[in-house]
Amino acid sequence: MKLTFSNDTIVLDKDLNALDRFVLKFTAILEQRQIRFVLISGYVVILFGRNRTSEDVDMFVEHLDFKQFKDLWNTLTDEFECINTPNVDDAYTEYITKGISLRFSKKGTFIPNIEFKFPKVELDSWTLAERKPLLLNGKQLFISPLELQISYKLYLGSEKDIEDAKYLYDVTKEHLDVELLNEFNTKLKTTKLFRKYFL
Amino acid sequence: MKTPNIDLKELKKLKEENFRERLLFLEKYAQWVKKTSNENWSKQQRDLIE
Repeated sequence: MKLTFSNDTIVLDKDLNALDRFVLKFTAILEQRQIRFVLISGYVVILFGRNRTSEDVDMFVEHLDFKQFKDLWNTLTDEFECINTPNVDDAYTEYITKGISLRFSKKGTFIPNIEFKFPKVELDSWTLAERKPLLLNGKQLFISPLELQISYKLYLGSEKDIEDAKYLYDVTKEHLDVELLNEFNTKLKTTKLFRKYFL
Repeated sequence: MKTPNIDLKELKKLKEENFRERLLFLEKYAQWVKKTSNENWSKQQRDLIE
């Protein structure tokens, strides 16, 4: 794998899969509207080559007021539909502002879908603030800091999550901020797991 | 880099909420698969896996 870390941007050129193309279509709309977002969780691991797929792609999106949300909704729904509800008022008042994720898929499909959520806790807001730019075949994406992804996957703790963390660590370890990774492992109480499986 | 405060109790609650949301999604997805033709749901699955 050829990964370039240049001026804080990760550059990755690869043969795009269906999930990548789906994500790029959705995020292009956010980019076009200058809405801040960050991709998190399983898709980040898949992006770096882990040989698995996912029905959903998780992302945090900056908090939007109703007008901003409605404007975005009107653009998104040219190509995508919301699985939770077809009604923009409900989507805003009954779901997203109550902390329930919205799921957007391409019209007429159910999978894959984007799990769209506003940050709920300080850690979520930090992830959005400290997002890392990634150029995928020249297209702009933003991903969670890898050090947090690795620790957080360990924190989640299922076999799949630990495998994801292990893979992400192994494929990017030369570029990681070890101090930051250790700090997250301490805060998330994942140091033991990290030592057990990674060192 | 300043890292955020992490409240593990809060995070545990969030993890549980996310899990419940995921189960709700799977319930919806299963309902959708049941009422959708094999041709259609399997095409979507194939497109995603291939």
